[in-house]
Amino acid sequence: MALIEIKNVKKSFETNKVLSDISFEVNKGDVVCMIGPSGSGKSTMLRCINLLEDIDEGQIIVLGQDINKIKDINAYRKNVGMVFQQFNLFNNMNVLDNCVLAQVKVLKKDKNEAEQVAIQRLSEVGLKDFIYAFPNTLSGGQKQRVAIARALCMDPEILLFDEPTSALDPQMVGEVLNVIKNLADQDMTMVIVTHEMAFAKDVADKIVFMDDGIILEEGSPDQIFNNPKNERTRQFLSRII
Amino acid sequence: MSLSKCLEILTKYFPSFLLGIRTTLIVAILGTLIGLIIGLFIGGIRAVKLDKTASKSVYIIKKIIDIITKIYIEVFRGTPMMVQAVFIYYLVYTNIFKWDKMFAAIFIISINTGAYMAEIIRSGIQAVDPGQNEAARSLGMSSSQTMMNVILPQAIKNAFPAIGNELIVNIKDSSVLMIISITELMFQSNSIAGTTYRFTETYFVTAMIYLFLTSISSFILHLIEKRLNNTKTSFPQSDTNIHSIVIASKGE
Ligand SMILES: Nc1ncnc2c1ncn2[C@@H]1O[C@H](COP(=O)(O)OP(=O)(O)OP(=O)(O)O)[C@@H](O)[C@H]1O
Ligand SMILES: [Mg+2]
Repeated sequence: MALIEIKNVKKSFETNKVLSDISFEVNKGDVVCMIGPSGSGKSTMLRCINLLEDIDEGQIIVLGQDINKIKDINAYRKNVGMVFQQFNLFNNMNVLDNCVLAQVKVLKKDKNEAEQVAIQRLSEVGLKDFIYAFPNTLSGGQKQRVAIARALCMDPEILLFDEPTSALDPQMVGEVLNVIKNLADQDMTMVIVTHEMAFAKDVADKIVFMDDGIILEEGSPDQIFNNPKNERTRQFLSRII
Repeated sequence: MSLSKCLEILTKYFPSFLLGIRTTLIVAILGTLIGLIIGLFIGGIRAVKLDKTASKSVYIIKKIIDIITKIYIEVFRGTPMMVQAVFIYYLVYTNIFKWDKMFAAIFIISINTGAYMAEIIRSGIQAVDPGQNEAARSLGMSSSQTMMNVILPQAIKNAFPAIGNELIVNIKDSSVLMIISITELMFQSNSIAGTTYRFTETYFVTAMIYLFLTSISSFILHLIEKRLNNTKTSFPQSDTNIHSIVIASKGE
């Protein structure tokens, strides 16, 4: 079953055509990794799925509804978590409150219940001992794990990741990828924009290769990494691996 | 000028000075607080950037509000408060109702401060990194929930030195409100000087009192600022990592 269907999506920023006719699907429980050169439109595509950007043409169907026709955007967004390259933690509150806030404000849970969930999720990402720490005292890897826990607290159907490890020092990349890998093992549906090719190969059910606003090639990791059909894909992979 | 004469004036007219201090502080503190509230509203609205989902009518309303608030800010920052004071005081007094002078003074200093505060708050909000806004929205929080819980607390904290500075400015600049004869410190000093004919000594005492008030205020503001910056943090010992799966990262 397709949880996300992207159908002929087009998007421009003023005259800059960023997405020209993108179509792909994400099935329930699948991990789709989007790869491609800088500026190819990967982030824009991801942001469209979370309605941080709107589209000019086409349709994005998530959980059976055309998201650009949705009236209550906030109700939609709580089902679709997003993890950003720059973590984007709330700097005015501690780790626990970062994870509690939206549960209380959006899901209308009471504070105790929300804290239980938050502590559970933070334990799962290995940060149980850090619940009272403020973001500015954490390492990049820890921040990103908090950001993942924060998204998980909403119990989303889908998680979107935009280069979750690109802002990290190399030695912290592994701890974040481990967390994502664990989620994949628990059949979380995820769309991940990444430059970590080894990780993508390991975790993805499908790889989507984007270049200049179109999908040049998509397929299983084996297909894309071992037998890329397209010359551009081959060039890109040879440069990055 | 003799210092002993200064001391004599201070002790002899202490009740008058004290009344002046009281009025000055009431006007300055209330003016700063009400100005801050005005600034939070107007600065908050001005900082809002409509996202793509906003309808055309919302867009037009926002545009109109932006223009009106811009005019307010420019007018009140671009003219002297003394002129604002006489103009507004007599405008209301002769055309609307015979208002209380003290009330008028607080009203005038508040809207004057509000114009400065609006800009302070707006830039404070815009200095909060927009990623936090996106993160909050991506969790399903509304724009007002995001503003109240995430953005404004940080904006106020960042802008605190500038907000505090408005209080200092108001303690000094409320002196121009003597033009509508409220019993603030400058007005009181004028009448003391008028009785004693000791202008130098009287105004020296006045200057010292102002200096005292602003120094105390700076000191208190500084303490508050330090507290704001001193966010409590825990000192965790271990980073209980989940079982490791070795994944090679790029370029290794
Ligand atoms: N808000 C925006 N306004 C105008 N142009 C934008 C905006 N966001 C992205 N773009 C442009 O859209 C194009 C695609 O950007 P996008 O961020 O989607 O690429 P990307 O594939 O994520 O690249 P990277 O790997 O560098 O993150 C770029 O040319 C970029 O300059
Ligand atoms: Mg990107």
